[in-house]
Amino acid sequence: MFRNSNITARLFDRQISAPAPGTSVNCNRRFYENLVPSHTIYDVECPDLSFCKFTHDGRYLITFSRNHQDLIVYRPTWLSYSCEGEVCDLPSKARRFESFFTQLYSVTLASSGTDVICKEFFLYMEGNQFGIFATSTTQIQDTPAIGGAIQGVPSFERIAFHLLRLEDGIVLDEKVFQNDYVNLNHDMGVLYDDLLAIVSIRYQRIQILQIRESGHLVDVRALGPFCYEDDELFLNSSSQCMHQLSENHAENGLHANQPNPDSLFLSGIKQRLLSFIFRGIWNEEVDRSQTVQSMKKKFYFHFQDYVDLIIWKVQFLDRHHLLIKFGSVEGVLQYSRSADHHPSFFAVYNMETTEVVAFYPNSAYELCALFEQFGDHFYSASRNLLHLKFISSHSNNIHASDQLRIVKNKASSSLQFIRKILASLPFSCQSQSPSPYFDHSLFRYDEKLISATERHRTSVDHPIKFISRRQPSVLKFKIKPGPEAGNVDNRTRKATSFLFHPFLPLALSIQQSMHFPPSMNIHYRQ
Amino acid sequence: MYRISGRDVSAQGGGGGGGGGGPSSATANNSWVSPTSVSTSGKRIQREITEFSMDPPPDCSAGPKGDNLYHWVSTIIGPSGTPYQGGIFFLDIIFPSDYPFKPPKVAFKTRIYHCNVDSAGNLSMDILKDSWSPALTITKVLLAVRSIFTNPDPYNPQIPGIAHLYLADRAKHDELAAEWTRRFAK
Repeated sequence: MFRNSNITARLFDRQISAPAPGTSVNCNRRFYENLVPSHTIYDVECPDLSFCKFTHDGRYLITFSRNHQDLIVYRPTWLSYSCEGEVCDLPSKARRFESFFTQLYSVTLASSGTDVICKEFFLYMEGNQFGIFATSTTQIQDTPAIGGAIQGVPSFERIAFHLLRLEDGIVLDEKVFQNDYVNLNHDMGVLYDDLLAIVSIRYQRIQILQIRESGHLVDVRALGPFCYEDDELFLNSSSQCMHQLSENHAENGLHANQPNPDSLFLSGIKQRLLSFIFRGIWNEEVDRSQTVQSMKKKFYFHFQDYVDLIIWKVQFLDRHHLLIKFGSVEGVLQYSRSADHHPSFFAVYNMETTEVVAFYPNSAYELCALFEQFGDHFYSASRNLLHLKFISSHSNNIHASDQLRIVKNKASSSLQFIRKILASLPFSCQSQSPSPYFDHSLFRYDEKLISATERHRTSVDHPIKFISRRQPSVLKFKIKPGPEAGNVDNRTRKATSFLFHPFLPLALSIQQSMHFPPSMNIHYRQ
Repeated sequence: MYRISGRDVSAQGGGGGGGGGGPSSATANNSWVSPTSVSTSGKRIQREITEFSMDPPPDCSAGPKGDNLYHWVSTIIGPSGTPYQGGIFFLDIIFPSDYPFKPPKVAFKTRIYHCNVDSAGNLSMDILKDSWSPALTITKVLLAVRSIFTNPDPYNPQIPGIAHLYLADRAKHDELAAEWTRRFAK
């Protein structure tokens, strides 16, 4: 059917005809083809800050001070002005950062001189406008592995998670990890509704915290060494009673008196994992002598490798199920792409029943197929956030799935493709911008240069084109980071980060290089 | 005891997997075997693998960990009708270099509530200590380990408290053991 893409025609169209049932949001989002951030203010005078992101409800712009001690929160405001005649250029005095953003407050999060805000870590709870930030002291490389810590994992003396009410910047609660290692890069936070999961890599413990309405961080459970929340208590109380009884028995309490060397036993989660693998092989073969052979080859031969696996990353699949990635100690500390080459494993774990539900190596076709078909189940950060449903993914968007197919065909082998795809799991929640300009059904753009995933990218000197999906020849707008005339010096590598407002036609591009102060462009609709 | 040992060792000499062999003394054994005792024990363990594969005991499974013949892992499924039912118990078995003249060391890697297993998981059984005989094989050891699930030996306990409870209040003991199995051995 012919559709006029003129905005007036569309408005009339909206007045006289109702969209097909269930598509009203999709239909309304088409207006974004008409409302685009096509104007750019180059090299805006802006405060010298490190810009983190817009919250997903668009109410706040989160920034940190250059020394990473303070949090400064801005409110995006829609600039309005009136002009005369044909020329509608913004007056020069309005071409400032402050015309678009109002500072709400500034809070010092890293109070002592030794710790800094982790600039890549920020989680937002939309319901009650809470923000979660992390601060840490500097990393110590060679720390002795004491008290059950994993050998070879660096340590931070102190990592603190701060719960803030973003309305007024009041710090509500704090959770501190001492001498621990928590991965805080690339939005590694894991949030599902009001549940927050933090992986202590050094002590192999997944800490589940609940964020209460009252603004408290409450420990719900800790997984790893034990599975049930009261396992440790149970163990201590029953070994105490063993101890008492053995003392009553005057013979000897020698063995019971020995300190309990916990590390001799498999950790709770490893026991579950190994028994899951064991039962799988045990029940697989009908013939007994076959079982013995496959046990030997598939299980006992790799037993120590399974025991040595460490919890690497985690994500929620729903309120009860976690997707846990296991890998080797060496692999954990590499964030480069070569990390994909390390063998790793995925387990689905039910926290309520303490059962491992599924276990896959990172070369498993089955898991890859599940991810391809039901990708949105992996992306689910929450059940009830509407705007998150419109983030394009290969399983909800035909264009994104086409792109995935191209990647698949390009891959030299299917195994390489599977590894590549599964490397993106577990999925970091809130790492994708819900901006409609990244909707693949509205716009086509080069994903190598820009995408909904908020990452620093190597800068290119030419503008990034956003082309209409419906009319493949129409260029809707361009985003050009860096100075208007292009960079004089092409040799220095520059990185650009893009911050898109979740629903307004407003975007920031910040170009950074080694020797120059960062330059910010504001892209907006005039 | 050592009378039987001679028979066992010479069985390797015959190169056969299963059966017996003529009685021969330990000294005669030394005359033809390669100089290191390690390979003697290695061959013996190899043979036990074959024997185990032919006829594994029920609910038991075992195999060398990685490519180290002297370090095995065994899995015992908690026998039904006992409080250990439904549990999967992993055990470490370490063979000494002078095996079969010294017993293997067996330790639980899974927490278990049992009067013959100390708080570090070490299993104590008389056949693994004074009553060890080189005639015993890993199959027989695992059968014996499995039997302590059904019949603990409260008179030679590692943890007297549990043994005491087992004798005094069996129901309470079983309840606790089942709770341990549910928590730590699933």
